[in-house]
Amino acid sequence: MKNRLKVLRAERDWSQGDLAQRLEVSRQSVNAIETGKFDPSLPLAFKLARLFEMRIEEIFEDSGQ
Amino acid sequence: MEGKTKDLARSRHNRRLIVFSVLLALAGSLDAWVFIRRHPTGVLAYALAVLRALPMIGIMADFGLYVAALKDEVMRSIIYQSMLWSIGATLGFTTVWGFLEAFVHIPHLQPLLVMPVFGLFVGVSLFLVARRYE
Repeated sequence: MKNRLKVLRAERDWSQGDLAQRLEVSRQSVNAIETGKFDPSLPLAFKLARLFEMRIEEIFEDSGQ
Repeated sequence: MEGKTKDLARSRHNRRLIVFSVLLALAGSLDAWVFIRRHPTGVLAYALAVLRALPMIGIMADFGLYVAALKDEVMRSIIYQSMLWSIGATLGFTTVWGFLEAFVHIPHLQPLLVMPVFGLFVGVSLFLVARRYE
């Protein structure tokens, strides 16, 4: 699933490690989600949405559409 | 890293692993001493043999508890996938070995060696699966 995490992270000048710390996951997890290798669960997607103060669909692109 | 939750899960895992490792060494030493010196039979022999297996079962249970406590989804997914690959590889390996034993008469594989074989496959699987998420 495509997403805008890299852009959103760069806008805030956060490293993958910074985002990982805020999400309480590993940096490897952030990298896997960011590169589309792993789709996060709904709770984690909501956590991301809350962190970036956006809606989930503004962060993740529904590839089925 | 994942923060307090992971640290707590990992420190519990490490503590339990140390305890089970010490118990494994003690049970192994006790078993060896008793079986060499006293040649136990009957219920005592059964009990001592099972005693040796208990810490190993404990190590497996501890690993399961550690994975269940992991909040990091990617890490958990990597471990789950590795476990599935390892179970398949172990079943495949032991099936092939079993047929070879039956028809070609190669050396017998002791069932207690299945766990180390599984552990070996887990190590390889973890390495390979983790690379997919790098």
